[in-house]
Amino acid sequence: MVELKNVDVHYKDGGKGGVDALHNVNIRINDGEFVFVVGNSGAGKSTLLKLLTRELTPTNGRVFVNGYNLSKIKKRKLPYFRRSVGMIFQDFRLIPDMTVYENVAFVLRVIDKSNKYIRQRVPYVLNLVRLADKAKVKPTQLSGGEQQRVAIARAFAIDPGLIIADEPTGNIDPALSYEMVELLKDINKCGTTVIMVTHEHDLVQYFGGRIINLSSGSVAFDDYIEGEEDEDEGE
Amino acid sequence: MRGSNFSYLMKQGVVSVWRNRMMSFASFCIIMVSLLLISLSLLVAADINIVIESAEEKNEVLVYVSDADQARLDSVESAIKTQSYVGEVVFYSKEEAWEDQKAKMEEYSELFDALTENPMPDTFRVTLSDISKMDEARAAFEAIEGVESVSAPYDFASVLVSLRTTLAIIGGAVLIALIVVCIVIVYNSTRTSVFVRRKEIGIMKSVGATNFFIKFPFFIEGMFIGIISGAVAWLLTKLAYESLVSFFAGDLTIWEVLGLVNVIQFNDIMWIALGFNCLAGAFLGAFGTILSMGKHLKV
Repeated sequence: MVELKNVDVHYKDGGKGGVDALHNVNIRINDGEFVFVVGNSGAGKSTLLKLLTRELTPTNGRVFVNGYNLSKIKKRKLPYFRRSVGMIFQDFRLIPDMTVYENVAFVLRVIDKSNKYIRQRVPYVLNLVRLADKAKVKPTQLSGGEQQRVAIARAFAIDPGLIIADEPTGNIDPALSYEMVELLKDINKCGTTVIMVTHEHDLVQYFGGRIINLSSGSVAFDDYIEGEEDEDEGE
Repeated sequence: MRGSNFSYLMKQGVVSVWRNRMMSFASFCIIMVSLLLISLSLLVAADINIVIESAEEKNEVLVYVSDADQARLDSVESAIKTQSYVGEVVFYSKEEAWEDQKAKMEEYSELFDALTENPMPDTFRVTLSDISKMDEARAAFEAIEGVESVSAPYDFASVLVSLRTTLAIIGGAVLIALIVVCIVIVYNSTRTSVFVRRKEIGIMKSVGATNFFIKFPFFIEGMFIGIISGAVAWLLTKLAYESLVSFFAGDLTIWEVLGLVNVIQFNDIMWIALGFNCLAGAFLGAFGTILSMGKHLKV
C-alpha cells in the first residue's frame, strides 16, 4: 500500500523564498492497483516519485510505502525498503557491459539471492517479457523497446510489491508504448501494484483506470476513467 | 551474505582493476616503487644498526691509571661503574700489559730486559652500553681522581651515530611522503572507479544494495592492487638488495672492519619481507580506498 498524508515539499533553493513542489497532497493506493500519474512539467510528478523511493523526505506530512514509514525510516533499513520496490526509468539504466541475462541477474545478486534461484528466476522473467532469445545479447544491441522490456524484467525479477515506472514510454517508439503498458498490466495482474508516471494522454485515455492528475503541486484529479480499450472490448 | 555472492563481489573487485586499468596501473606503480624504497631503506637501516651494534660491542674506552695502589684502583673502578651508560669494566693490569707487550715484540726482548721499571699503566677497559655517550664518558672518566688519560674512539662512534640519526630523519620524511603519495593516488584511482561505475552504483542503490555490497568491490580493488604491488616490490627488493650485498662483498677488507660481513641475508627474512610488503600494500590500497569512498561514494 502507498499512502501520502498531508504532504508538503518545499525546495529552499528554487529562487526567492523557495518553491512549493507539492502542497497538501493526500493519496492512497491499495495493493494490486494500477495507477497512472499524469501532469505537466513542474506539476510535481518527479517530486512525488522521489518521495516514494525515499530519495526525498517531505517538509510536512507522512509517506508510507509497503508498510514502511518513509518519513521516519532509518538509513540502514533503506536498502530493505528499496528491495520491495521495482523501478523502471525512462532512460532504461541498463549496464552496457553486461548481457541482458547479467543485467537481470545482477539485481538478484544485490539482494543476496542464491545462484540456484537466479538460474531459475532470470529465464522466467525474460520469458515473461519475451526476451528469452536475447539473454546473451548486450543492451546496446537491442532496440529501445527491447531495452525497456529488459528494464521491466529487471524490476519484476526482485518480485516487488510495487513497481514505479517513471515515463517508461518516453524513449521508445509510440507504437511500442501500448505494448509496454500491456506488459506492466500483465505484471499488475500477478498482484504487483504499479504506479506509472507519464505525460502521454493518449495512452491514459486508451487504457483508462485510476488516474491521478497533479497540477502545480496539488492533486487536481484522482478518479477512475473508462478506457478506450474497455470500450473496444465492450463492443 | 551467501558465499556465492561474496565470491561474486571479490571477482567484481578484481575485474574492476582491469576495467579501470590506467588508474590501477598508476596506483600499482606508485605503491610498488614506494614499497621498494621503504623495504630497501629498512634493510639498509637494519644493516647500519648491525654495524653500529658491532661497533658498540667493540667500543672500548681505555682508562689509564698510573702509579696507583689497590685502594686507588678500586676507587677508580667504582667511580667508572657509577655511570649509567657503562656496560662492562675489565681490569687490565700493568703486569699483564707488560707481558703481552713483550710477547708481541719478542725480537726486541733485549730492550725490554734493559728496562728496570714496568712503563705500562694499569688500564680499565670499559665497554659502553650506549655508543652515543662516548664523549660524555670520556669527560667523566677524565675527571676521576687518579686517572692519567682516557682513550676513546670518539670520531668513529660519532660518525656512526650521526649517520644513523640523519638516515632516520631522511628515511622517515621520505617514508611519510611516499605513504601520502600512495594514499592520494589510490584515492584518485577509487574516485575514477566510482565515476566509471556510477550507473551501476545508482542501479544498486535503487534496487536495495547494502553499503557493504556497494563498497566491498572497491575495497577489494584497492587491496588487490596493493598486494600485487607489494609482491612485485618484494621481488625487486630481493634483486636490488642482493646485488648491493654482493657488490660490497667483493672487497671484504674494509667491510669486515666495519662489521658489514654480518649484514642481513635476504633469504633469511624472505618470507617475513614478502608478508610485510603484501600487508603494507594491502593497507595502503585499502586505506586510500576507504578515504575516497567516504568522500565520493555516498550510499
